[in-house]
Amino acid sequence: MNITLLTSEIAIICLSLLIIILDLLLPRFETRRSLGYLAAAGVAGVFAYTCTQYGVSATVYQGLFTLDSFALFFKQIFLLAILLTLLFSFDYVEGLAKYQGEFYALLLLAVAGMMIMASANDLLTVFIGTELMTVTFYILVGYQFNSSKSSEAGMKYMILGSVSSAVLLYGVSWVYGCTGSIVFEQIAKHANTSLGMLFGFGLIVAGLFFKMALIPFHMWAPEIYEGAPTPITAMLSMGSKVAGLAVLLRMVFIAFVPMQAYWGGIVSIIAAITMIGGTVIAMWQTNIKRMMAYSSITQAGYMIVGLLSADASGIKSVLFYAMLYMFANVGVFATIIAVKKHHGSNEIKDFSGLAQQSPLLAVVMTVSLLSMAGIPPMAGFAGKLYVFSTVIEKGYLWLGLLGFVMSMISVYYYLNVTKVIYMNEPCVQKEFIVSQPLRIAALISLLATLWIGIYPGPLAELANTAARSLSIL
Amino acid sequence: MDHFPLLTAIMLAPIIGALFLSFLPREADKIIKMVSALTMMVALGLVIYAYEMYDFNLGGMQFVESRAWIQDLGVSFILGVDGISLPMLLLTVLIGFSTVFASWNITKRSKEFFILLLILLAGVTGTFITQDLFIFLLFYEMVVIPIYIMVLIWGSSKRVSKEYSGMKLTIYLLLGSAFMLVGIIDLYLNAYPSGMRTFSMTALAQANQLGNLSEGFQIFTFFLLMIGFGSLLSMWPLHSWSPDGYAGAPTAVSMIHAGVLKKIGGYGLIRIGLLILPLGAKFWAPWIALLAVCNVLYAGFIALVQKDLKYVIGYSSVSHMGYVLIGFAALNGTGMNGAIGNMFAHGIMSALFFAMIGYVYEKTHTRYIPDLGGLAHQMPRVATGFMLAGMASLGLPGLIGFIPEFTIFVGAFREYPVYALLAISGIIFTALYILRVLANVLFGPRRTEFDGCADARGVELVPLIVLGSVLVVFGVFPQMLMGMVNSGVEPMVPFLTKLHAAPALLGGLFR
Amino acid sequence: MDDLVYTIAFYILAAITIASAIGVVTKHNLVHSALLMALCFIGISGLYVLLQADFLAAVQILVYSGAVAILIVLGIMLTQRRSMENTNPNSGWPRGAAVVCALLFVVILIVIAATPWHYSSSMAAQDTPSVLARLLFTDYMVAFEAAAVLLLAAMMGAIVLAKGGEEK
Repeated sequence: MNITLLTSEIAIICLSLLIIILDLLLPRFETRRSLGYLAAAGVAGVFAYTCTQYGVSATVYQGLFTLDSFALFFKQIFLLAILLTLLFSFDYVEGLAKYQGEFYALLLLAVAGMMIMASANDLLTVFIGTELMTVTFYILVGYQFNSSKSSEAGMKYMILGSVSSAVLLYGVSWVYGCTGSIVFEQIAKHANTSLGMLFGFGLIVAGLFFKMALIPFHMWAPEIYEGAPTPITAMLSMGSKVAGLAVLLRMVFIAFVPMQAYWGGIVSIIAAITMIGGTVIAMWQTNIKRMMAYSSITQAGYMIVGLLSADASGIKSVLFYAMLYMFANVGVFATIIAVKKHHGSNEIKDFSGLAQQSPLLAVVMTVSLLSMAGIPPMAGFAGKLYVFSTVIEKGYLWLGLLGFVMSMISVYYYLNVTKVIYMNEPCVQKEFIVSQPLRIAALISLLATLWIGIYPGPLAELANTAARSLSIL
Repeated sequence: MDHFPLLTAIMLAPIIGALFLSFLPREADKIIKMVSALTMMVALGLVIYAYEMYDFNLGGMQFVESRAWIQDLGVSFILGVDGISLPMLLLTVLIGFSTVFASWNITKRSKEFFILLLILLAGVTGTFITQDLFIFLLFYEMVVIPIYIMVLIWGSSKRVSKEYSGMKLTIYLLLGSAFMLVGIIDLYLNAYPSGMRTFSMTALAQANQLGNLSEGFQIFTFFLLMIGFGSLLSMWPLHSWSPDGYAGAPTAVSMIHAGVLKKIGGYGLIRIGLLILPLGAKFWAPWIALLAVCNVLYAGFIALVQKDLKYVIGYSSVSHMGYVLIGFAALNGTGMNGAIGNMFAHGIMSALFFAMIGYVYEKTHTRYIPDLGGLAHQMPRVATGFMLAGMASLGLPGLIGFIPEFTIFVGAFREYPVYALLAISGIIFTALYILRVLANVLFGPRRTEFDGCADARGVELVPLIVLGSVLVVFGVFPQMLMGMVNSGVEPMVPFLTKLHAAPALLGGLFR
Repeated sequence: MDDLVYTIAFYILAAITIASAIGVVTKHNLVHSALLMALCFIGISGLYVLLQADFLAAVQILVYSGAVAILIVLGIMLTQRRSMENTNPNSGWPRGAAVVCALLFVVILIVIAATPWHYSSSMAAQDTPSVLARLLFTDYMVAFEAAAVLLLAAMMGAIVLAKGGEEK
């Protein structure tokens, strides 16, 4: 029994508890910025620690919790995402009316939930991890107490999220009924393709697709993305989605191997609908956060395309895409926060003249958006190349063609933002302040996006190691 | 280090220049322009050096550099030039150098302008020197976004709004490239079994000789590539972005777009389409020839009735691309020579045209032909440039346009006599609309309202001198161009003859 | 004889559970719905007893009927209203909802009928609390601890959200 495998999760939870305690000790009117720095430093420490864990492949608690390169890769995505999110949201959190310390603490708990999801090797741990993440998000989404939109979003997310969790849990009970176990390896051993098993599997997948916001399970996303505080929108878009993906990958490729015969048709259709629907609806949005919601729906569609190929190269491409998707999101949301601070709202027209007020953020925003669109030499292109070449190899040429056409069409709405940034003159003549941590986060995202796009070798290798550690392959 | 990485230096020069510019203060307008000019001068010098040092007798790829890049995809960073890419490279830097000076009068947000311009030029340069498809794609689409932003900020909304024309240009080209991307991925996956995959153009070309690519596959994939490159080349009916796009774009973008970017389409068709998928090329060649004739005649007709200077030249360039396409479709050495030569010639003259239109518009604030007239009185130098470009465009012997066009017709006549005759008749339209423009804009009675317009002077003359002298020199000594091109086409000739001998599928119907 | 008693008990409990569940949805008075929900939970705990899951049955009554249902009633009392008429209105499309539910029901019925079920031959565990406790504190440690963290998060969230808006 090797409890050190849990070190990073324990560290994050302890960090969160520490922040709660310090929050109580700090004088009431003192700024909570220091807690934010502490959280960021702690996360950075944990991230550095996880880098030393590569190559480990071990389980604790009778195989219910596993740590392999695959889990580590996802944990690093979450840790990087939260680290960069913390960096760009200090100012935002300072603008909150109350409970700033708790904001940081809850964010960290959500990340702990995601990390448990990445390592979970049985359906119960998956469920608890998912709940830890989503329950925390229910609270965080409604954190802007003076905004009715935020409260509404929190309430909606709670109701819809609970329904999806219930569906997931119901599916788990069916699978348990059919196989007599909830541990992935045991399920694989007893798996059959009886109707009951398929039904349970379908319910679980539907629950996870809800977390990933794939069409037709996407209805919650736009409202909640718009209403939530921007750092939470960022974490929903990066964390919730990618964590759902992590669970889905491990589950499909370890527990439900016999189901893969039924898998291809459904997933290819859902991916196609998601890519088309997300792109088409995003074109009509005037609010940047709503647009990003639809954009993230589309992105999820691209990501699950990689699942179709059902081999190591497919998983690798998904992992690769998840990482670059995270970096692109950081760039976009950092800019959104800076602009929101300047203008006080999130409409696309508020980006007017950003190119003249803050050339760096203008470039970061453009590069990040184009990375999502998959334009070379940004990272998104390499990602799409990996994803679609694996499925074209499996004979889904139509899906590859559709994916590329859709991504080029999506350039339309991304460029509409770019147009506002570059063409229009600034509408408010006051100094545009970009705080130092935000600038650092934006710069990291920019450099990472370009680096991965131009020289994807190292990340591809890392993703490859991670993909191969899913031992069944 | 065995030899100086010349091609890397040529490609990096604009990028380094752009990086340097981004650290300059926004107000340092003159320094920004000087730095850009200097950067392009360095690039131009290096390319001329390469052009001189290229060994005709040896032929093939020279100045080759190769580094491993992405192991698991089989991408390597291979640079190299031969007789096909070197003229294109020269064209790029010549036009790039001229655009810096043609944009000398831009004062609005000049820092951003020149940064974008240099990035754009680096992208185009990279496309022509890389020998790896992945790297080719990186550069290929790198150019799209700077162009969009440049059209938005510095473009003009005369007949269509610049937002519209910029977006149309971008989306058209990107959609085309989506098809091309799928084609390239398909090619990548099928050329070699997994484990040996590569994006290297030479290796992919060998895949065909090894018989890894079936005829049906080649036909399908070539079709995808044809959509991609065809839309970039403004092949009929995928051409409609071109006149609108040029009309909205600032002078520099029009020059680069008409001068060089379109040529990437032709270059790609030859380098990727023909050399890697010859059977596909053979199948589609008759169709391409048919579309080429449509290009020549349809765009020629439309150009006749345009009232906006930029639209005339825009449609004229669409029409000229028809010649390139029919030369390509002939699939013989002569036609290929002519096609590549014409790409170079057309690049120079359309860039000169757009530069001159830019000056006229800048001074008179109109591009509307009926409003203009008698400009030769006030602006003799600009008029000279106009005349040179116009005469080259209608293929006057002694200027650069004649020899390549003539070669194309010789090559094409052998394969498609009817199409070639139709295309030749297109020259009449060309002569008509060019002479009409020249007569209406330059000649006629002196108009007093333009008396205040100064002629081009100082640095403004650089594009005129550079491009004009290339027009004349390469026209008088065609061997300088055609010799180089021929050294690139020569090795393909046996390959092409063999291709003709190979049994044809359905495409033979049209022969 | 035993079997017959079990069967009769099962059908009675099942009928109570389903009927009260339908009542929860269709009643227009929220208090009635809440009370019916408590009844539904008790019915389910009866089913647990039949399955010899004694601990689960006790927890079901304690937590669900005892805490959850009562909490809801408390919540209703705290939000003051003159009349409880029509506090639990139906959705806008009762027919659509009925059709979807019926479809789902049919699908589940088909799935149940078509699946070859395995029956466990082993005896039911005696003294379930200690078995469960051992599992929770050994194999399912991670889930258990994570659930504790989840509770903490939920508690903090309750405080934050409940007190957050008051000063506005």
